[in-house]
Amino acid sequence: MGIPILSLILLCPVLATAAVMLVPAGRDQMVRWISVAFSLLALILSAIVWMAYDQTVGGLQFEEIVPWVPAVGITWHMAVDGFGVLLVMLNSLVWFTGVLTMWSLAYRVKEYFAFMTLLVVGVYGVFMTQDLFLLFFFYEIAVVPMYPLILIWGSTRKEYAAMKLMLYLLVGSALLFPALLAIYHVAGLGTFSMVELGRHTFGIEFQKFVYPFVYLGFGVLAGMFPFHGWSPSGHVAAPSAVSMLHAGVLMKLGAFGILVVGIRLLPEGATYWAPLFAVLAACGILYGAFVALRQTDFKFVIGFSSVSHMGIVLLGLNLGVLGVASADAFNGAVFQMFAHGIMTALFFSTVGYIYDKAHTKTISDFGGLGSQMPRAVTIFIIAGLCGAGLPGLASFWAELLVFLAAMKTYPILGAAIVAGLVLTAMYILRVFQQAFFGPRNPKWDGLTDMVGWELLPRAILVAVLILFGFFPNLILGLIDPTTQILMEGF
Amino acid sequence: MNPAILAIVVIFTPLVAFATAMLFCMKAHRIAQGLILGGGAVSVVGAFLLLLGGPSETQSIVWLSSGSLELSFGFMFDGLSLSFGAVVALITFLVQVYSIGYMHHDPAKTRYFALLGLFGWAMLGFVYAVDLLQALIFWELVGLASFFLIGFWYEKPSASAAARKAFLLTRIGDTGLLIGILLIINISGMAHIPALLDAETGLTTMVSEGTLTLLVLLIFMGIMGKSAQFPLHTWLPDAMEGPTPVSALLHSATMVAAGVFLFARLHPLFMASETAILVVLCIAIFTALMSATIAMVETDLKKVLAYSSIGQLAFMLAALAAGGLLAGILHLILHAVFKALLFLCAGSYIHHFETNDMREIGRRGGRRMRWTTAGLVIGGASLAGLPPLAGFFSKEEVLASLSHGGYHLIWFLALFAAFLTAYYTFRMVFFIILPDRPLEADATVHDSSPVILGPIIFLTIATVLGGLILGPLAAILLLDVPHHSLLSMLPAILCALAGVFVAWWDFGRSRATRRGFVGAVPVLHRLFSRKWYVDDVYQAVFARFIQLMATVLHRVEVDLLDGGADRLADVTRWTGGWTARLQSGWVQAYIASGVVVVALAGYFLGSR
Repeated sequence: MGIPILSLILLCPVLATAAVMLVPAGRDQMVRWISVAFSLLALILSAIVWMAYDQTVGGLQFEEIVPWVPAVGITWHMAVDGFGVLLVMLNSLVWFTGVLTMWSLAYRVKEYFAFMTLLVVGVYGVFMTQDLFLLFFFYEIAVVPMYPLILIWGSTRKEYAAMKLMLYLLVGSALLFPALLAIYHVAGLGTFSMVELGRHTFGIEFQKFVYPFVYLGFGVLAGMFPFHGWSPSGHVAAPSAVSMLHAGVLMKLGAFGILVVGIRLLPEGATYWAPLFAVLAACGILYGAFVALRQTDFKFVIGFSSVSHMGIVLLGLNLGVLGVASADAFNGAVFQMFAHGIMTALFFSTVGYIYDKAHTKTISDFGGLGSQMPRAVTIFIIAGLCGAGLPGLASFWAELLVFLAAMKTYPILGAAIVAGLVLTAMYILRVFQQAFFGPRNPKWDGLTDMVGWELLPRAILVAVLILFGFFPNLILGLIDPTTQILMEGF
Repeated sequence: MNPAILAIVVIFTPLVAFATAMLFCMKAHRIAQGLILGGGAVSVVGAFLLLLGGPSETQSIVWLSSGSLELSFGFMFDGLSLSFGAVVALITFLVQVYSIGYMHHDPAKTRYFALLGLFGWAMLGFVYAVDLLQALIFWELVGLASFFLIGFWYEKPSASAAARKAFLLTRIGDTGLLIGILLIINISGMAHIPALLDAETGLTTMVSEGTLTLLVLLIFMGIMGKSAQFPLHTWLPDAMEGPTPVSALLHSATMVAAGVFLFARLHPLFMASETAILVVLCIAIFTALMSATIAMVETDLKKVLAYSSIGQLAFMLAALAAGGLLAGILHLILHAVFKALLFLCAGSYIHHFETNDMREIGRRGGRRMRWTTAGLVIGGASLAGLPPLAGFFSKEEVLASLSHGGYHLIWFLALFAAFLTAYYTFRMVFFIILPDRPLEADATVHDSSPVILGPIIFLTIATVLGGLILGPLAAILLLDVPHHSLLSMLPAILCALAGVFVAWWDFGRSRATRRGFVGAVPVLHRLFSRKWYVDDVYQAVFARFIQLMATVLHRVEVDLLDGGADRLADVTRWTGGWTARLQSGWVQAYIASGVVVVALAGYFLGSR
């Protein structure tokens, strides 16, 4: 079986949490170094997994199977396919850059890093596990730390936002849990292994009945319109690195769940519901863009842009199910999960920097910031252009693939969302113009621009966006074999 | 040498220069400047070597594949790419040299020069592109460079507003272009340009004429945005907020010509659809007339030139649509030369007098800048279409292609547009060389520095000799040189001369009113000076509509979705509070509720 590398990656945040909690109070610097060391280790291990993953074969690799609770068929089953490799990498990147972003945090540092790292444990677990029970278990681990993180370290109506987020996500879980149990029982295999459940063919009526529970349950976390309400206010209230993890990876858990539980286990149910959910996703794309146009807070703009961009992921998944241009749609959706994750992480990391210096996130408070913070502004502009789907940055390819599938499946709908790109450009340019361009505002003359290590996390994310913007085949080569296997199920 | 390697050098040297300058030379202006100029020089040499090498086989590799999408990355080495590539590289380099003088005192020089490098890379990448998607990528990147360069002085609110407007309006056009390309990929499974154009197996054989019309018109939307055709033209005059060398390079000579270039590139597809041809002709001729009328009443030197660019681009599109491939490309190339010249001259004045108002430039002694004025007059005469300058030959070809195509009405309107062009061009010339009051003896007026004059003189010579390229260009494009009798050239020459004469009558002669003949009809004058109200309509209709939608949906979000969720939470809290009241510690209440529950249970159990 070789080295259980996936468990090693998972162990990094587990050990980091434990180590951080053992550090004596007041030794904040040690907490930071522990976090950065373990996140770097996880990043390196993720890179090794990416390199070692055999793209010519595809499918699940690096399998580890250890029975855990044999009586009900729960197994410590870790394995990743192309999608998993990509998303594990995403999580590692966001964790590492998130730790660096929060370097200057001074308030209750130890508890902060402990909770944040716990969240990372959950995310890794979901992306790696092939056991339905463990998936739900890790899913909840990822969701729960959000509450204290927002409540203690947040801003802007944080009690309200934390409670709202928690309630939305728990309602999602409440839909999800019975659905997962139903899948387990109806299959009657006595196992939670998703590989074996995937081989079982569920009755069509059962699939039609259960799929919406799965889709909505996970969809809430994916920022699905019209159940996205928790996400913008949660983004706004959360501290920078939590927003990064939250929008960067946590929302992808929802989409990933729909993919591996909904679509893989219940393909016919997915096909039945896909037209409705595709239209809802398209509405979300346009709706998010329109609402973003009216926001006055940096983070709200990004929050609604996330609703819009996650709509592209959900649209891609539903179009993939419909089977007219499955490969493009699935590849586009998964590519977008990664690209959007990196992009929003960059957004929040940079906005967090500006907020730390200026103590405001209101767009109209700024103006001419380009003179005072050229580096921070340049980085924000790169993220914004990525959001607007500019070629040369990773999102372009993801959106192109989904649009291609959309044009093939529903030409009118496809044309409408392509036209929605104009709206995206509008809300992004509005921010640029109001906050960064225009006459220099003397109020902000004292602000210092990013220097040295402060540039590091942002530079890494920018580099990733540009790298995959010009060499999209690095990702497509990784995920396409998995897409091909997925499509055999239809 | 393998042309593909040469093309990579031509295209990517400016990128390397850009990246190096941005990352390492933010403080070292001279080094950044040197890097970008060096990169520009390499591109020029390479592009001309490619041109001398003559047409050769297309070369490409597969860049990515996913499902139905296969994108190839490569280069086309036909006459169109080679000739326009050389022009782009040359003018880019000349403008870079000119910028040394023009931007001498600007504190953000590194950013400026780096962006010129970015532009050079994107534009050259577009010109040689072999795949429609590859072309689209570079097309968007060209737009990005344009956005940053228009907004280069971003502290000026008007500049950043102009940049945003340019981005949005071209984006609207690009939406059509993207939809068109996606449809083409979905229909044909490819976006490889030579394969799509193939007469036996290409796109024209795959789809009905109706579908083809839809496809090419969608593509034409992108062209309208980029090449500033009505109704997406309004960004180009505003784009004059950018530094003047940028206006010369991007917003007249090369970038805006990218739309025309794309039209020429896909010429066979457009030719296969009668409807598309008519639509393009109508839009082009309307744009030509409209822009000329606005230029007649404009007093901002750069804006006059901007409107003339819009009009000349319309001429190119009209020629191409009428089947005159050679005419369109010839005008594309020669216009790039003489319009760059005109803008560089304008920049020379503006740099000296620090005003864009051409009347003021004339009054303060603009004509004492001799070399600049010589360039302006020769460039203007070329724009007006006076023989034997470059513009005469190309405009003559454009008009001939319209009449050969049998579009006589369009031809007639184009003649009228040519007359107006000559008129407003010489209005501009007379404002500068024959100001309305005698010049004072002002010793401070002197001509610009050699780095500014060098490119101007070079382009002046090129404008004088430009007509000579007709033969070689036809040869490299594998087309025949048409022969025109002197008689058929007569209308164009007469129109140009008439335009010059009327301009002299209105603005040049000593007793001229300097109001222009449109001034006699106030309604028209108002229409023209309000730019045909296009911007006002946009503001009143589209901008308001989008704002309204945003406001409505924002209310939906806050009141309905969020508010609804909050009300739901309130219901839960209220129910909880109400139920909690049952735990009152009041024994009678416990007993009463116990009785009620038992009674209900008994009723339900008993009824079964």
